[in-house]
Amino acid sequence: MRILVVEDDADAATAMVRGLTEAGHEAVHAVDGAFGLLEAQKGGYDVYVVDRMMPRLDGIGMVETLRKEGDQTPVLFLSALGEVEDRVTGLKAGADDYLVKPYAFSELIARVEALARRRETGSVATVLKVGDLEMNLISREVHRAGQEIDLQPREFQLLEFLMRHAGQSVTRTMLLEKVWEYHFDPQTNVIDVHISRLRAKIDKGFDRAMLQTVRGAGYRLEA
Amino acid sequence: MKLPSLFRRTPFRLTLLFLALFAAVAAAVLAYVYVASAQEARTRAERSVRGEMEILTGIFRERGFDALNRALIDRTLSNGSYLYILMTPDGQKITGNLSTSPIKNFQGPRQWDTFRFTDVDADGRVVRTQSMGVQVRLSTGEMLFVGEDIGDMERYLARLTQALWGAMALVLVLGVGGGLLVSRNVEKSMARLNTVVSAVQDGDLKARVAVRGSGDELDELGQGLNLMLDRMEASMASIRHAGDAIAHDLRSPLTRMRAKLEVALIDAEAGKIDGVEALEMALGEADDLLKTFNTVLAIARLQAAAGSGRTPDPSRFDAAELAVDMAELYEPASEDKGMEFSAEIERGLIVDANRAFLSQALANLLDNAIKYTPAGGAVVLRARRRSSGDVEFSVTDTGPGVPEEDRERVLQRFVRLDNSRTEPGSGLGLSLVGAVMEAHGGRIQLDEGPGEYGGQGPGLRVALILPAAEA
Repeated sequence: MRILVVEDDADAATAMVRGLTEAGHEAVHAVDGAFGLLEAQKGGYDVYVVDRMMPRLDGIGMVETLRKEGDQTPVLFLSALGEVEDRVTGLKAGADDYLVKPYAFSELIARVEALARRRETGSVATVLKVGDLEMNLISREVHRAGQEIDLQPREFQLLEFLMRHAGQSVTRTMLLEKVWEYHFDPQTNVIDVHISRLRAKIDKGFDRAMLQTVRGAGYRLEA
Repeated sequence: MKLPSLFRRTPFRLTLLFLALFAAVAAAVLAYVYVASAQEARTRAERSVRGEMEILTGIFRERGFDALNRALIDRTLSNGSYLYILMTPDGQKITGNLSTSPIKNFQGPRQWDTFRFTDVDADGRVVRTQSMGVQVRLSTGEMLFVGEDIGDMERYLARLTQALWGAMALVLVLGVGGGLLVSRNVEKSMARLNTVVSAVQDGDLKARVAVRGSGDELDELGQGLNLMLDRMEASMASIRHAGDAIAHDLRSPLTRMRAKLEVALIDAEAGKIDGVEALEMALGEADDLLKTFNTVLAIARLQAAAGSGRTPDPSRFDAAELAVDMAELYEPASEDKGMEFSAEIERGLIVDANRAFLSQALANLLDNAIKYTPAGGAVVLRARRRSSGDVEFSVTDTGPGVPEEDRERVLQRFVRLDNSRTEPGSGLGLSLVGAVMEAHGGRIQLDEGPGEYGGQGPGLRVALILPAAEA
């Protein structure tokens, strides 16, 4: 995956480029919004990771310009501003996801990969398939190896999200944000418990567990 | 050219403007009075002259020329205010108090005229007074003139005019004087306000306007300014306080983290743990510190919002749905721990609130309840509308509860009761909930739970009371 990192903090940028490279991606760094815009206009990127506050052209201005030019490449905003209204302005400007600084690196990678994936699959599919697991989004039925699995509405949403990001790590924060739409940090393991219930339903009685725990990151659904 | 500074002052300019306006109105009134009075005087004089003439022609018609002549002589001698002259057909005077008719080229049988009548007054001075009169030709050919001096009216009007001009001059003088006085006064008051404003500009937030208590608008402005400054000073103080609190609150976790890192370093050097483990520990500590920092910031922001009386980013939504969602989120975790979880939620609880903060508050209560209630216990989430219209959420558990004397204290930052120290936590959860309620104009209430329950208890009931949404 080719990722453009637009970040004026040199240390943060170096760490990010290094981490992304180690995760098997190609990362290019631009030092501010103006350079970022020039680099982005060359094309060929799968995701832009853009710091919100930068000298010259800030992240909002850069993304707005790109969107006006018709560039639909997914954008992940990084910002030290974490209030609800900051998030809203960021998303309004055309960003697809918003990550508040400081963040865990696993969180950044997971979100970048999720954004790139979303672009690949699109959302027109009515049936999701991961290995022998099949989800019909219209009839809202789930089968594994032809066996029907009965899910609660929230479990269905959770599984849908995991299936759309199959093969990728998704963090607990991502699940809480994207499935429950909460932006806080629960002190108890509420998400883990939901996951283990879902796991009991889709993996119990099969030789291979699809829903795996990724240490220090979150979960991953494997085909 | 620059006007003298006085003319640039608003009160003085206003005074001048009003004086000009007043003068214009006064002139108009004067003109009207003058014209109306003159008209009235003329009409009255004409009526009385006509009356006199009718009496005299009546005498002539009924009793003949000689009677008329006699009547005229009588009237001339009695020194009335009328002017008379009876003339032969060719204009020679027969009787009367005039020597010739003021009407020189008499044509009709009846002719009106106004004229100036030359007379000699008591002091021997020649005066010319405005008069009016009518002349008729009698059926026998003689001519009779009757007139009246209307000079009195003229003099009255002249005096009136003079008085009005005088009054106007007086008003102008007083007005300019008064204007100067008023503008000086206003300027003094403004100067007091300006002094305070520039003092505040220079950073002295303690400066206040001396209010005289006269209740006028400048006093009101001064009071408003003082109120604004009080508010500003309070919020500056609360910001400073929040800054101090944050610095203080972060010092202890930072110190703790530093100590742990040092221990990890020593352990790593001694080969007790490997570097990766030490770094993972450091990361974990950094994450905890970050959470603490975010919570402290959120509390400070909420308290500042409570100070200004405004909920941050409020929106109108159904809190019942939020409560149902929260119950659904927390139920598995609680049942996993071997607790009974139930929710009693009334429908349609519309509130004006910050959704993110309210869900955070509920999450903190549920987190606490699940954390501190032992297996076999129970947790209940309730949401209902009180009879007052306020919306009440409550989380009741069957854990050890909080002793009555500690219920105030646990809302403070970093306060953890002794028997809770074994559980992970920052001591900020309930402080944040309290701050959320404060910022919403609501309150938090801690009570004893249901008492003994399966060997546990007495439990804790935490209620959040949120004011009803405004219609």
